[in-house]
Amino acid sequence: MLIHGTGDAFTNMAIDEALLISGKPTLRLYRWKPSAISIGYFQSMEEEVNLEECTRQGIDVVRRITGGGAVYHDERGEITYSLVCPQQMVPVRILDSYRLICTSLAGGLGVLGIEAHHAGINDIVVNGKKISGSAQTRRYGNVLQHGTILISVDVKKMFSLLKVGPEKISDKGIASAEERVTSIEREVGSVDERELMEALLRGFQDVMGLSFHEGALDTKEREMAEEVRKKYVSREWNFKR
Amino acid sequence: MYPENGILKGEMKVAGGKLIKCRMTVRTGIIVNIKLSGDFFMHPEEKIDELEEKLAGCPLDEKHLRNICSPFFEGVELIGATPEDFIAVMLKAHRRDN
Repeated sequence: MLIHGTGDAFTNMAIDEALLISGKPTLRLYRWKPSAISIGYFQSMEEEVNLEECTRQGIDVVRRITGGGAVYHDERGEITYSLVCPQQMVPVRILDSYRLICTSLAGGLGVLGIEAHHAGINDIVVNGKKISGSAQTRRYGNVLQHGTILISVDVKKMFSLLKVGPEKISDKGIASAEERVTSIEREVGSVDERELMEALLRGFQDVMGLSFHEGALDTKEREMAEEVRKKYVSREWNFKR
Repeated sequence: MYPENGILKGEMKVAGGKLIKCRMTVRTGIIVNIKLSGDFFMHPEEKIDELEEKLAGCPLDEKHLRNICSPFFEGVELIGATPEDFIAVMLKAHRRDN
């Protein structure tokens, strides 16, 4: 099934968790409104996020159920994907499943003329520059992998909201964090959202043999999302570490 | 000698991997409480709380940390870091050489 749409940070994370619980094979493509920062399960909100600046700019903050790093989800400059399926549909080894799903996404970007490939654990790069990062969790016999795909990038804004230390980039040998990222627009210019969505679907079809039809959350998934949204709104969850 | 009381912080970037941070309260060389954070992956995720609970009360030296960490990490899958990295970041905090 394919779902797309726009939601706030708490709803977006709640829908991904509801889909993970449900386990129905689903590809979800979505945006964040208002723009938001999501942090990884193990990250400290205070250490990663410039909260004062987020409040000033009207940026929501939320903790994910997946590990990995902090991500700035710009309302216009970014699209997020999430893929949910039973574990049997992906390799047992988590690293192998990152490779498979990221290769599918890279294949989709290839349809747009962007030469992208999976790199490291959970990144997709173009000429060594990161265009997408992903995070995965496994529960209830199902897999959720979600991640960001940069459409345009305002690095200055991104780093005004995140606390990026020099250690984070040290071993990649790149002096400036700005040099580490690229975006769809930077690579091939403006791309229509529908075109991007179809390209990504094509990537999943070519690499994983998956085909999707448009759909929506069922009643149970919607109720579950409403229930787990309470967690994502709570200070207890977002500031737990 | 290194101070044995207070709040200690450690941080390290795993070569080719992720960032691990630790923040702990130490009294007379024993961990009172500890928070481990970073952009690594651990499955199942909530096991991190169990590790932090086990580390509370542990003397802050390599042998005791290893006695807790080695069996713990047999039961979880770590990606982007190794069990040794977790021990190293705690010892790094202890040495205050961040």
